[in-house]
Amino acid sequence: MKEIRICFQKAGRARYISHLDLTRAMTRAVRRAGLPIWYTEGFNKHPYLTFAAPLSLGAEGLRESMDLRLTDDIPMRDIVDRLNAVLPEGLTALSAAEPLHKAGELAAARYRLTFTGDLSHMADFLAQNSILAEKRTKKGGVKQIDLKPALQKAACTPEEKGALVMEIFLPCSSAETINPALIVSAYNAFAKERGGVDGAANCRIVRTALYCGEGIPFA
Amino acid sequence: MDGKRRENVQSSEKLEQIFMQVQKPARYTGGELNSVMKDPAKVNIRIAMAFPDLYEIGMSHLGMKLLYGLFNEQEDVWCERVFAPDTDMEALMRANGLKLFGLESRDPVDTFDFLGFTLQYELSFTAILNMLDLAGIPLLSADRGDDCSLVIAGGPCACNPEPIADFIDLFTLGEGEEVNLELFDLYRRHKAAGFQRAAFLREAAQIEGVYVPALYEVRYHENGTVASVTPKDGAPAKVRKRIVLDMDKAYYPDRFVVPFIDIVHDRAMSEIFRGCIRGCRFCQAGFIYRPVREKSAQTINAQSRALCENTGYEEFSLSSLSTSDYTELEQLLPMLLEWAEKEQTNISLPSLRIDGFSEELAARLNVLRRSGLTFAPEAGTQRLRDAINKNLTESEILDTAKKAFSAGWTAVKLYFMMGLPTETMDDIAGIAELAQKIVNCFYHNPNKPKGKGVNVSVSVSCFVPKPFTPFQWEPQDTMEQLVAKQRHLRESVTTKKVSLRWHDAQVSFLEGVLARGDRRLCAVIEEAFRRGCKLDAWSEHFSLQTWLDAFRSKGLDPAFYANRRRDLEEILPWDHLDYGVTKAFLARENRRAHEGKTTPNCRQACSGCGAAQWNGGVCTDERN
Repeated sequence: MKEIRICFQKAGRARYISHLDLTRAMTRAVRRAGLPIWYTEGFNKHPYLTFAAPLSLGAEGLRESMDLRLTDDIPMRDIVDRLNAVLPEGLTALSAAEPLHKAGELAAARYRLTFTGDLSHMADFLAQNSILAEKRTKKGGVKQIDLKPALQKAACTPEEKGALVMEIFLPCSSAETINPALIVSAYNAFAKERGGVDGAANCRIVRTALYCGEGIPFA
Repeated sequence: MDGKRRENVQSSEKLEQIFMQVQKPARYTGGELNSVMKDPAKVNIRIAMAFPDLYEIGMSHLGMKLLYGLFNEQEDVWCERVFAPDTDMEALMRANGLKLFGLESRDPVDTFDFLGFTLQYELSFTAILNMLDLAGIPLLSADRGDDCSLVIAGGPCACNPEPIADFIDLFTLGEGEEVNLELFDLYRRHKAAGFQRAAFLREAAQIEGVYVPALYEVRYHENGTVASVTPKDGAPAKVRKRIVLDMDKAYYPDRFVVPFIDIVHDRAMSEIFRGCIRGCRFCQAGFIYRPVREKSAQTINAQSRALCENTGYEEFSLSSLSTSDYTELEQLLPMLLEWAEKEQTNISLPSLRIDGFSEELAARLNVLRRSGLTFAPEAGTQRLRDAINKNLTESEILDTAKKAFSAGWTAVKLYFMMGLPTETMDDIAGIAELAQKIVNCFYHNPNKPKGKGVNVSVSVSCFVPKPFTPFQWEPQDTMEQLVAKQRHLRESVTTKKVSLRWHDAQVSFLEGVLARGDRRLCAVIEEAFRRGCKLDAWSEHFSLQTWLDAFRSKGLDPAFYANRRRDLEEILPWDHLDYGVTKAFLARENRRAHEGKTTPNCRQACSGCGAAQWNGGVCTDERN
C-alpha cells in the first residue's frame, strides 16, 4: 500500500461543490480512472480518501491537497493523467507525490480575496483597533475572534473598476482555522452600521496555497 | 489539462452572486461530469429538457437521462437540463430579473427551439406553469408567437394530457426515442423554410404519437361530461402511442450525468424490460407500457458495465416494473456479479422477491445487508387482492418472512392502499391482521434472532383511479371516507410491533381530480398557480384550500372528477388517445374485478388487451 498526496485545483463551476460532495466526486473519479485505491476494511468498505483542509462552498482553491492510498505502484505522472481524463469541469489534478508532511503539520493558508461592490468603508474597517467577528464553534456555540492580527499583515491592492484585491494568510490547522468569509461578513456588518446597504461588498475567495509554517508549502 | 473540457460558462455576475445565497447551489450550476457542452454556433436545434420538480427528484429519473443522451448524440442538437428552482432560488431569480436557464449553457430557455417537459405525476402541473412563467414564455399555447420556443411534453401523465392541454403545444404519447427524432426532422425542415408555428403543429400532428391539443375541439354535455372530441386540420381522430419494439437495438446511454449533490436515486440504472405482465388493476404503468419487451442479459450486462465505468458509481440497480418477472434473471445476475464484485460495486435490486434465489446467489447479492424486507400486498384480504388482481398470497408473504427472520432480519415493510374499489372495513382490518400474522410468525420462529424484537411497518397510500386502467370508471373514496378508514385501521392494530403510516388524503384527492380531469381544468390549474401553488408535490408547499378556492372561482366541482362513478358508455376525456389496450378490455377487467375474478398474467395466457397489435414482446413469445 502506498500513500499518495494529490495536489489539485478546484475552480470555475467546481467551486460550488461542497466539501462533503467533493469527497464523493473525487471517490468516483478515482474509480473511473481505474486507480487501485485501497478500501477500508470492515462491514462498510469504502475507498480511503482524505483532504488536508475543507474549502468552503463557493471558494476556489489553486493548490488543494488530497491523500489516498493505492494498493499498486503507479507512476505519479500516470495518476495525474488518469485523473484528469475523468475529472469534472473545474477540478484538475496538478501533481501526485508521496507526502512530505504529516496532515497535522498543516498550519496556514494563503488567500486572495477580490472585493467588489461598495468598498467605501474599507479603510475605516481596516483601521479599527480590533476587528471582531463571530465564529461558530464545532459545539454549536459562538466564539468571538479578532481578525486584526491577520488583516494587519494583509496586502491590499486596488484593482480596476474599484475592486480591491487582498492577499492574506489565515490560520488553517486542527487547532485554529479562520474562514475568510468571516472577513467579508465582518466588513458588510461594519458597512451596514455606517449606513451602507445589506451585503455591501461581494468577495471572490481563492485559496492560493497551503503552508506548514511561514514559507514552507504543505506538500 | 486537455482542451476537450474547456470552460464555456456564460458568466453572469448576478447569477454567480445568487448561487452564493441559495441552498445547494450545485442544483443550478451545471458542470457535472458527463453533462454535455456544445458550441451554440454549431448546433441547429436547442432543447431544454425540463423536469417540473427539484433537481434531486428530476436527476433521479431514468427516462430523462435516456433522452438527454439520445438527443445529444444528434450532432446538430444540444439538449440541456432544467429543473424547478426551489423557492429561495426562485425568489432571487425574480428579484434580479433572471430567467429560467439551461444548466449547461446558462442561456435563458426562451431562446431555445424546444422546451420539453416530462410528465411524471399530476402534482407537478403547477410547477410547469411556474417554469414557463420564469422562462418568460406565455402560459397559453394560443398566446405564443412564431419566435417563441415550442413547448412539448411526454411521459406517463401524457396519457391524459387534457388538464394541461392549453399550456402545451404538443404531446408525445408513449416512448420518446423515435417520435422525438422524427419531430426534430420535421422541425429542421420548417426552420430552414421559415418557421411558422401553426403550420409546424399541423404537420407534426401527422406524426404517429404526436398529439396537438389545439387541433381538437372538445364539447361538453350540460352535466359536464364530454359530448364530443372533434379533430380539425387533418389531425387523426385517434392518436396512438409509440413504442420501441426491439429493446436490444434501442438506444441506451453509456453514461449518466453524475450529480455533485446527493439526489434521490444516486446510482447507475439499467433498464431490463418495459411493461409488466401482471395487470394489477389499479396500476396505470401496468397498462400504458404494454406489451412487455425484455432486453437480453448480454445487452444489460454490457450496458451496466459501461455505465459504471463512465460514472464511477459504486452502486447500480436494475430498473423495471417487476424485476422478479425478468426471464433471464438467473443468467444475468452471475454475469453482473463477476465484475461488480471485483470493482466493489453494489447491485441493488428493487421490487424483488428473494424467495426465488439460491442461498449462494442471495449471499453474493448481499440481500441480507439491506435495510429490510419489503412486500406490497396492496390489500389486506385475499378477496380484495383478487379483485385488484394482485397476485401475491398470504402464504407467500409469510413463507418469505419466515425465511428472512431465520436469516436474521427483524424488519418488514408492507405497502398497502386504501380506498380500492369494492373495499369494505373488513378489508381495512385485514391489513392489521396480516401485519399481526407476520409479527406472530417472528415469535413462533425457533430460529429468530436472539434478543431482538420485530418491527413491521405498514405504509398505506390512498388509491387514485387512473386513466387506461380497469378502474378508470370508479369513484375515488372521498377524503371523509379515507379518514374514516385510516381511523379504523389505527383501531385495528393492537400491537406496538406494528407501526402505521399513511398518505395524506388531501393530496390523493387532488391527484385524483387532475388524473381524470378534462380540458376545463386548465383554467383551474392556471388559477391555482396564480394563487401561489407551484410545488404541490411537497407537503410544505401543498395547500388544498388554495386549490378548492381556484375550483370555486372557475365554477367547477372537484368531486365531479374524483368521486363520481363514470358510466361505461361515457366519453372519457382521454378516449381519443390510444395506448394499445382497448376500452372493451378495460371494461371486461372492471367487471371481473367486481366479480372477484383474477386474470392470468401475460405469460400464462393472453387476455386480449389489444397490445398484440404491435406484434412483439411478450405477445409473440411462447407461453409457458
